[in-house]
Amino acid sequence: MAGKGHDHIATLARTMTQELVSRRAFLAAAGALGAGLALGRPAWAQAVKRGGQLKIAWIDTVDTLDPHFTSSLGAIKIHDNIYNGILKVDFDGKRVSFKPDLVEKWDMPTPTTHVLTLRRGVKFHDGDECTAEAVKWNQERLRDPQVKSPHGWKLADLDKIEIQDKHRLRITFKRPYQFLPVAWTGSTGRAGTVVSPKAVEKHGRAFGRNPVGTGPFRFVEWVENDRIVLERNPNYFETGADGKALPYLDRVTVLLIRESSTAVGALMAGEIDGMNLIPFQFLPMLEKNPAVQVVGGVEGNYTFVGMNNRKPPFDDQALRQAVSFAIDRTPIIQQAYFGGAIAACSAISPPMSDFYNADQCSSKRAQYFDLDKAKALRAESKHKGDVEVEWMVVGQYTGSGGVGPRMAELVQPMLAKIGVKVRIQLYEQATWHKKRNTGDFQMYDEGWVADLDPDETIYPEWVTGKPWNFVGYSNPEFDKLVSEAQFEPNVAKRKALYDKADLLLARDAPCAFIAHFKVFKALSRKVHGFKYIPADSMRFHAVHL
Amino acid sequence: MLQYAVNRFLHTVVLLFLISVFVFALMKLAPGDPVTVMLGADYNPESYAKLRSELGLDRSVVVQYLIWVWRFVQGNWGTSYISGAPVARLVLHDALPVTVYLSFWSLVFALVIAIPSGVVAALRRNTWVDYAGMGLAIFFNSFPSFYLGIVLIWIFGVSLGWFPTMGYVSPGADVGRSLLHMVLPAFTLGAWYAGLIARITRSSLVDVLNQPYIKVARAKGVEGRAVVYKHALRNVLIPVVTIVGLQLGGMLRGAVMTETVFALPGIGRLVTIAVLNREYHLVQATVMVIAIMFILINLMVDVLYRFLNPRVREA
Repeated sequence: MAGKGHDHIATLARTMTQELVSRRAFLAAAGALGAGLALGRPAWAQAVKRGGQLKIAWIDTVDTLDPHFTSSLGAIKIHDNIYNGILKVDFDGKRVSFKPDLVEKWDMPTPTTHVLTLRRGVKFHDGDECTAEAVKWNQERLRDPQVKSPHGWKLADLDKIEIQDKHRLRITFKRPYQFLPVAWTGSTGRAGTVVSPKAVEKHGRAFGRNPVGTGPFRFVEWVENDRIVLERNPNYFETGADGKALPYLDRVTVLLIRESSTAVGALMAGEIDGMNLIPFQFLPMLEKNPAVQVVGGVEGNYTFVGMNNRKPPFDDQALRQAVSFAIDRTPIIQQAYFGGAIAACSAISPPMSDFYNADQCSSKRAQYFDLDKAKALRAESKHKGDVEVEWMVVGQYTGSGGVGPRMAELVQPMLAKIGVKVRIQLYEQATWHKKRNTGDFQMYDEGWVADLDPDETIYPEWVTGKPWNFVGYSNPEFDKLVSEAQFEPNVAKRKALYDKADLLLARDAPCAFIAHFKVFKALSRKVHGFKYIPADSMRFHAVHL
Repeated sequence: MLQYAVNRFLHTVVLLFLISVFVFALMKLAPGDPVTVMLGADYNPESYAKLRSELGLDRSVVVQYLIWVWRFVQGNWGTSYISGAPVARLVLHDALPVTVYLSFWSLVFALVIAIPSGVVAALRRNTWVDYAGMGLAIFFNSFPSFYLGIVLIWIFGVSLGWFPTMGYVSPGADVGRSLLHMVLPAFTLGAWYAGLIARITRSSLVDVLNQPYIKVARAKGVEGRAVVYKHALRNVLIPVVTIVGLQLGGMLRGAVMTETVFALPGIGRLVTIAVLNREYHLVQATVMVIAIMFILINLMVDVLYRFLNPRVREA
């Protein structure tokens, strides 16, 4: 077993506590400094302007504002403003980290025991205090089989929750689950987002339309297919640069515009203040516009060309490997992603700071473009001569990473060079999902997005029989490596396990990895204080106009 | 008259029944279901089976249809699978007023532009005025509305900044802003319609002006303008009203595109998203509302006919 000094989660918990102590000390010092400045506020405080309304176009779907039931990134981006999590995701420009949100202190007496001390005085928008009882209720709601939350699996190893006092609880897991920091975040984790128990009991299933959290904004209204309106929570616990409570904005209006060209037009006409997502084709135009700032970077994602491992012709590993070496990622990145991506040669992506190998492509250990190698592997394939395959493409997808049929159109001539004749077939969303979920396809392209830990990016997608392993990949050695990594607390050992698994996956080629793409948001130049976090997040806590 | 009303009512009921069966069957025949869409990335076979059973989608199609009809006639239109909101509220309260408002202004725009243009083109036929007017009419009649919308957004919204590029403002909230927000969508939707009506008006007027009774009126010394407005135009309105009535359905079709391009939360956008998400209840209710509207419009056209054409009244 790993020494405690190297334990990933324990180190994180300790770091958080230290940061909180130093932050409190800083705030105390800042307060003293403020009191000492008899003449007005310091310059940095005056730069912040309070009030106003932010109008922002939402391109992707919002399914529900109940975080324990959502499956849409479009919704999570709104949850980030209504709720808090036990933890939150942070980014210093280089590394992704997990910071305390509702917790003030996180102790780990053993690798499976977590003692959480909550911030005091945090209130839900309905006036109730966020206590240990409320956090316990939320954790139990998630894992209750009757509730049927799609995120209950993240707490499958939770053993018991004991309340120690009004603001302290002790949570025990059966095993040292390494995905926990991500699961406990209020954004993409969703298993750590804390909702008001009273409001859930009051609204039942309609809670998703009447959300109540502790976040900087409270819910006002949701007009179907039109807008979602949030207003300032005057009792929010975080403090702004001017020493007063955040948020700065009075109101946020989320305009549910599905048509991205309409949103771009409205942004350029100055009618709205931003877009929560920029489809790649609009990137060059918006980057050139002096009134618009484009914010974004490579996120925790990868796109790939999936090949059905269970059906001919891709039940042949040599053919799949030939495909993975026949694809030149450079023109795809330039023409399908308009430069907004980097080549992916395996699954683990840059924001997984402790696990990403930046040299995966250049070292030529995983997948890369080599036509000679592709031809040699093609010659080893049991399918001789030309093979004809159908590539199913989804038409309407406008979410993160959606490139429509562009990728298929670019790859088609590349595969023709190794005798794989691709017929591109466009399907609308529901049909595409049905065919993918039932394994009724030969080839398709897909992307897994907003991941922050290798476990979520590799385990349910590629382990034998797991729900998102639509191509039917199976390698017992791979399964063993990633299953061990789930409960390996030592970071270095965990990385070694993922290195092996990631490489094995690339070499087995159940898919051809294509890109880790950037996720962009567009904001008017008059919007200030937006902090970019590479988890497709849109937090307006400290935004001002 | 009573017999006519009863027959009309029975026809309507049978028609609505057939439409409901057809739409229900079509939606069920299409691959995919709302459960897959709802689960998205959280799909797994267990959660799929659970949710499917919870929504009653594991029952036979006939049972599902009968349950839906029984509830629909009682006013219980169900709830949206995705949002959980009541379907009746989504369709009748949220979306329908937007589409009616858009259609009304599109129709006003189309009639105000098209009838005078058609009359002028007929009176000055085979001159440059006629050619220019009818050229424009054909242009607008053949220009795809979604593309026209985007072109208008970029010219009048982004470049000139004269009109808002998107969004709906209720007239109850702010009449001025509401009208301003309607200018580009109403032009987009009405343009196709205006082109059609202008051409019909022109050709009908040309035809009527050659009728013997017009020559008689002229021979009796009735002046040119009075001949047109008093004698000819009333007869021209009969085919125009027919086309307006028949093509109002086309306007609802055009609303799908216009509402998407201008981000208007109307029936067209609602039904588009509902079809993509396989929201059976929502599609069914929306189609029924559109069908009822279509039937009512046709009824109004019949009544107008009887007012405009005494021969129909006597028959």
